[in-house]
Amino acid sequence: MKNIFQMTWQVPFGEFVLKLDPLSLVFLLAVTILLLCAGVYAVGYMRPYQGKKPLLPHIFFYLLFAFSLVLIVTANNVILFLGAWETMTISTYFLIIFFDEKESVRKAGFLYLIASHCATFCLFLMFFLMAHAAGSMNFDMIARASFPPVLSGTIFLLALAGFGVKAGFLPSHIWLPYAHPAAPSHISALLSGVAIKMGIYGICRVLWIMDILPDWCGYLLVVIGVICGIMGVLYALGQHELKKLLAYHSIENIGIIAIGLGVGLLGRSYHLPFLAVLGFGGGLLHVLNHSLFKGLLFLAAGSVIQKTHSGEIDKLGGVAKAMPVTSVLFLVGALSICGLPLFNGFISEFIVFFGLFQGMFTLPLSGVIFCVWGILSLALMGALALACFSKVYGAVFSGQPRSILEGLEDPAGKGESTSKWMLIPMIVLAGVCVWIGLAPRAMAMFTFLGGAYLTHVELSMVDLGQVFIPLTMVIGVLLLFIALIMGLIVIRRLLLGAESTPVREAWGCGFTRVSARSQYTASSFARMILDFVKNLLFFRREGGMVEGIFPVKVRLESSVRDVAEEKGFRPLLTGLTLLSRKIDAGRVHYTQMYLMYIFLFLIFLLVWKLK
Amino acid sequence: MILSIFFHWFFVCLTAPFFLGVIGRVKAFASGKVGPPLLQPYFDLGKLFRKRSIYSRNMTWVFRLAPAVTFAAMLAVSLLVPFGALKAPVQFEGDILLIVGVLALSRFFMIAAAMDTGFSMEGMGASREAFFACLSEVALFMNFITLALLAHSLSLSRMLGADSPVSWNLLGPALLLVVASFFIVFLAENCRIPIDDPDTHLELTMIHEVMLLEHGGVDLAYMFYAAAVKFFIFAAILVPIILPVQTEYLCVRMMSFLGGMLGLSVLVGIVESSMARIRLDRVRNLLLISFALAFFGLIVALWRG
Repeated sequence: MKNIFQMTWQVPFGEFVLKLDPLSLVFLLAVTILLLCAGVYAVGYMRPYQGKKPLLPHIFFYLLFAFSLVLIVTANNVILFLGAWETMTISTYFLIIFFDEKESVRKAGFLYLIASHCATFCLFLMFFLMAHAAGSMNFDMIARASFPPVLSGTIFLLALAGFGVKAGFLPSHIWLPYAHPAAPSHISALLSGVAIKMGIYGICRVLWIMDILPDWCGYLLVVIGVICGIMGVLYALGQHELKKLLAYHSIENIGIIAIGLGVGLLGRSYHLPFLAVLGFGGGLLHVLNHSLFKGLLFLAAGSVIQKTHSGEIDKLGGVAKAMPVTSVLFLVGALSICGLPLFNGFISEFIVFFGLFQGMFTLPLSGVIFCVWGILSLALMGALALACFSKVYGAVFSGQPRSILEGLEDPAGKGESTSKWMLIPMIVLAGVCVWIGLAPRAMAMFTFLGGAYLTHVELSMVDLGQVFIPLTMVIGVLLLFIALIMGLIVIRRLLLGAESTPVREAWGCGFTRVSARSQYTASSFARMILDFVKNLLFFRREGGMVEGIFPVKVRLESSVRDVAEEKGFRPLLTGLTLLSRKIDAGRVHYTQMYLMYIFLFLIFLLVWKLK
Repeated sequence: MILSIFFHWFFVCLTAPFFLGVIGRVKAFASGKVGPPLLQPYFDLGKLFRKRSIYSRNMTWVFRLAPAVTFAAMLAVSLLVPFGALKAPVQFEGDILLIVGVLALSRFFMIAAAMDTGFSMEGMGASREAFFACLSEVALFMNFITLALLAHSLSLSRMLGADSPVSWNLLGPALLLVVASFFIVFLAENCRIPIDDPDTHLELTMIHEVMLLEHGGVDLAYMFYAAAVKFFIFAAILVPIILPVQTEYLCVRMMSFLGGMLGLSVLVGIVESSMARIRLDRVRNLLLISFALAFFGLIVALWRG
């Protein structure tokens, strides 16, 4: 691969070199599509704030963010990469805190900033180790160097820690569910669709640079993927807020991507190029797919929230009547994210599944066990995601409003009043989702190229027919399936005749006036599953018991606690604060003392150097 | 190819409701009644197809689309399943993934339709369906993994030995566990006792039926037909594992397949008339048992192979 751009740059060790290879192309595609769509959407979305809030800084940081993303995926030098990485972090921070009059938003932004910088520390360390061993700051040069296994293992772990925070790997994901709901919706879409993918890009880049990694790295990646996937979707099920739910769902999808990459890495370690290309290709395709459908879902959720002024799932309902187009678009996104056939999520999950089964057939026993585990977890994730999104669609868009929603006062036959600026980008994203779902060959080929690049083999050396023939058959059956649906709809029309079907009240077991509040809520929908895993999630329900002959108003509260946050980071940080207070208390407040410290340190350095 | 596809559909549509009739007859016999004629499901379907539908004010197009999607999904899945001498018209490596995917798609639409009514009964059923499906899908995958390892293939037709005979002599213990586990999945997916009761009219205890409360006319007919086809498909996966008859004579293969289907329906009928529906909060234990059985099947298969 040749450099596409070169420029002299007066930064020590830095060189301004940009490179496009199949790996960066995959990410660049996801970045460009979503940046454009979210940008157009923002024109409609930000209109109400015109004149009320300063929009110019927002636009500036949006463009800076876009610039840094493109730079990250094309940078071919450590310093340039880290510079772009920091620019992205800072610009994202300013994008997140757009609604900075709210305390919660400021806190979320601050949490994001701290988490990102802790991660960047690991990245500095990792790149230092790399560059030190290779004697160069250029990615191509580093890739040519060979690393001892201990060092490459350490670098891999540091990459997981550093990039994992951005990607949202458990347990370092805690910034993610705060930052996503706090940001304006088009920024949430970008955060989830693109920004966290930069973590994945970083890991991929490290995997590419370290062409020989110990075997355990692949296993570790599969384990991380499984844990992220299952915990992510379970947390999502327990959420009551639309955007927070979507944010947790990103963690699930990152898990699927990690499983794919893990399988690819296993294939590469055991010298099975087909398995490696399948795993890497499936993971990369899911990167692309996830940025499409998650972007779509966040944008659609943003439209709903803007219209109803509420993101509480249990307060919404019947939105499909007032926003028919948005509801269809959300449905497309929901079906895609559940990995259901006809949509793009199925294609990437199919390839990852295929890779896992392939691994089961070809890997040694330890690999078989991990692959079986991966298959089962992926199946469970799929079923849980289905439960989660049928819940969201059902609770938000179907039925009747559960509370008085200002935006939906007169839903009768008015049609959708969402701005065209907001609808068109969503339609484009939904269109691409369906396109990849029904004609996956082009995109799959595109990501397999990236997969082969990560495996360090030529794509022509791998028999891709083994996966493309099944994919073609899948599409054939799916087209038949669509034809069947059409046929059945026509038959239904013919049987029902031209008369309009009567519309009455729903049958309410004899009750004639059923209140909208008696509808099944999203919380009740998820309760059985959450009860099943309540100890894993710290799922708690308080109140709700009716007492006495004439019951008064009863309050019920159910919540899911994030284990990593409640049991991990909060005690840790509290402990650290206490410790530093203690140290602070024993400090002597003399300037002379500090001068002596400096003097002693200088002597220490002198002795150390003389030795 | 086209012809075999249409013949497959014709075959499944023609025979599927019959086995529901058999179950009904067995249950009636066990409780000392004469019971409805064996062809009762066909009469029900005929009547439903001639009736009109009625909708509630809350409903959107999702509710009207869902029955067509569900029925179409079952028909699409049936193409991937061999029926005795009738080979599956479409078979390829990885078709089990498509089967599970299309079944999940139909489930999504059923749940969405149930939520679309905006009524708590349907919501309750939808919630239970979503939860139990999580467990039964994992158990189903566990079975498929074991079968895939034994057949060294990802194609259902190969796993069921339509092309390469599955031998009970060699793989007996693993297959026995798979059969036991798959039978539970089969009962759960088809909403039979002891997981769900297709006949009760107490909405609080039902899973599948309660989701259909608002459907009527053609919509209900589609749903009913889809349930019959689903029963047929799951039975058609289970029967060849139990009865791996491999002869040149197509007639014998077909007879053994249909005989097995009939036997399985009678067995389901006997299970339904000899057991009560288990409590709702214990269903998950049953499904976990199914998973565990299949898991042991995998261990045996790995140990053998």
